Amino acid sequence: MSLLIGALTIGFILSLLALGVFISFRIFSFPDITADGSSTLGAAMAAALIVKGVNPLAATAAGFVAGFVAGSVTGVLAAKCKINGLLAGILVMTGLYSVNLHIMGRSNVPLLSSTTLSTYAQSVGTTILGGPKPLNILGWDVTVIDASTLLLVFLAIALVGAGLYWFFQTNLGTAMRATGDNAQMIRALGVSDENMIILGLAVSNGLIALAGALLAQYEGFADVQMGIGMVVWGLASVIIGEALVGTRQLGLTICGAVMGSVLFRLLVAIALRLGLNPNDLKLITAVFVFVALVLPNLVHKFRSRKAGAAYA
Amino acid sequence: MLELHKVTKVFNPSTPNEVRAIEGVDLTLEEGAFVVIIGTNGSGKSTLLNAVAGTFLVDTGTISMDGIDITRWPEHRRAGLMGRVFQNPFTGTSPNLTIAENLVLAARRGLPRGLGWALDRKTKDELRTRVRQLSLGLEDRLDNAIGSLSGGQRQALTLLMATWLKPRLLLLDEHTAALDPKSAEQVISLTDVIVTRDRLTTLMVTHSMHQAANLGGQLIMMHRGRIIQEFKGAEKRRTRVDDLLARFEEVRRADQLDVTAAEMLERAYV
Repeated sequence: MSLLIGALTIGFILSLLALGVFISFRIFSFPDITADGSSTLGAAMAAALIVKGVNPLAATAAGFVAGFVAGSVTGVLAAKCKINGLLAGILVMTGLYSVNLHIMGRSNVPLLSSTTLSTYAQSVGTTILGGPKPLNILGWDVTVIDASTLLLVFLAIALVGAGLYWFFQTNLGTAMRATGDNAQMIRALGVSDENMIILGLAVSNGLIALAGALLAQYEGFADVQMGIGMVVWGLASVIIGEALVGTRQLGLTICGAVMGSVLFRLLVAIALRLGLNPNDLKLITAVFVFVALVLPNLVHKFRSRKAGAAYA
Repeated sequence: MLELHKVTKVFNPSTPNEVRAIEGVDLTLEEGAFVVIIGTNGSGKSTLLNAVAGTFLVDTGTISMDGIDITRWPEHRRAGLMGRVFQNPFTGTSPNLTIAENLVLAARRGLPRGLGWALDRKTKDELRTRVRQLSLGLEDRLDNAIGSLSGGQRQALTLLMATWLKPRLLLLDEHTAALDPKSAEQVISLTDVIVTRDRLTTLMVTHSMHQAANLGGQLIMMHRGRIIQEFKGAEKRRTRVDDLLARFEEVRRADQLDVTAAEMLERAYV
C-alpha cells in the first residue's frame, strides 16, 4: 500500500514537470531540454538552502525562481540570439550541471535530518488526526506521514493547475498560446513573440524546478544526476494525458497532463514490482515516447491507404 | 502621414541569389488616402508593404509616420499603428484558438496585455455584435476553433481584426489572391465598406487590374523595385483596366531590350 501511495505522491509531484513540458512542447512546439538541468537546479537550490536552515517554503520558492531564471536564459538564447532551440536547451542544461555542483558543493545532499516540507506535512497530519496512529483506508493501513504528504502535494498541484488554467485565459496567457500557434499573427497584433517565448520557457522551467525541489524533499536528498531523462518523463506524461482526455479544451489538457503523470508513475511502480530491471526504465520510457509519437502517423497512413484501396 | 524616403532593400546581398527588391522608393501617403499598388511579379510591391510593416529592416532610407521616424522599430512595435491583412488566409489568424480568442487578441492590438481575464461576458457580447455586422453567420460560432473556417471566412475575420481598433494605417497584402472569386468579391466589398466608413488610410497591394482600376484614390505601378508611374485624382478616376494593361505591355517591351542596348540607342537617337 505504501508503494502505491508513494507512486501517487511522486506522480503528483512530477505532474509539475509534465505541466512544464506541456508549456514548452505543446504550447510553443519548443523541444526544451533545459528541463533535465532545471529540475536538478530546483532540487539543488532547495536542498542547499534547507541544509543551511532556511525555511523550507522559502527554499522551495527559491528553487522555482532558479528554474525561472534558467528557462529565461534558454529563451534569450533561442529567441534573441537566434540559436536553434534544441541547442539552446542543451547549452543551458550542460552549463547547469556545473552550476548545480556549485550550489550543492558536492554531488549529493542528504536532507533526512533537516526540516523539509515533508516534516511540515507530517506535523500538520499529526495535529489534525490527533496522533501518529496509522489510518485505515479501505482496509489498508496508511501511515500519517504518507497520507498527509499525498494530500498536501495534491492540494499544491491543484493550486498550480488552477493557476495555469487561469493564466492561459488572461490577455497575456491568450497571447502566449497564440504565439505558439501563429507567431506572425501575434507580431502583427503588437506582441513581441520573442518575449513571449522567453516568458513561457521561464514559467515552464520554473514549474519543472519546483517539481525538482519537491521531489528532493520527498525523497530526502538532492543528487546532481537526478534530472537525467526528465524531459522524456514529462513528455511521456503529456502524451498519456492527451490519450486520456484529448487536446480540445485547455482545462482538460491540464488535468490530462497531471493524470498522465500519475498514471505513468503507477505503471512504472507496477512494472518494477513485477520484476522490471530498474536499469531498463529509461530505455523503455524512451521507446514508449518514440512509439507514441510515431504511431498516430502510421495509423493515419494505414487508414488512408485502406481508404485509397477501397476507391480503387 | 506615412512617408518613405529613398528606401532600399537587397535580399541575400553579395551572393549569386542577390535580389534588389526595392531601389530608392519615395512615397508619401496623405491622411485618409486609399493607395493601391500594382506591379509585375517580383516588382517589389509586397516587399514595399512588408518594409512598412517592419517584417524586415530596410538597408537604407527612412520610413516615418506622423513625423515619427519608425525605420528601426521592430514589427510588433509598429503593429500599434498598423492593421494588417495577409495574402495567405492562414497567416492572419491563430487556427487552434477560438474565433472569440482571436478577436479579443486583436481588440488589444498594440496595447499592454496584463493578467486581466481575456473573455468576460461583456467583451463577448461586444464581439458578437461586431461579428454579426459581417453577416457571415459566425456570431453563434464564437467558441469554435478558427481553423475550422474557410479561407474566405478567415480572411473576413482577419480584416475585422486588423480594423477592430481603428489603425492609423491599414496594410492589405494581396488579401484576396488566395480566395475563390466569390469570397474574393465579398472580402473586397467588405474592405471597401470598412475603409470608407472609418476613413482609413490604406495601402493595398493587388494582382487584380480590376481591383486596381476600381478601388482607391491613388494608384502606384511598380517594376523592378521602382515606382514607374503614379495615377492620382482625376487621372486615377479615368484609368481603366485596358490602360493599365497597355502600360504593362509597354514595360514588358522595354524589358526585352537589353540594358546596354537601350543605353546605346539612347545615346545615338535621343
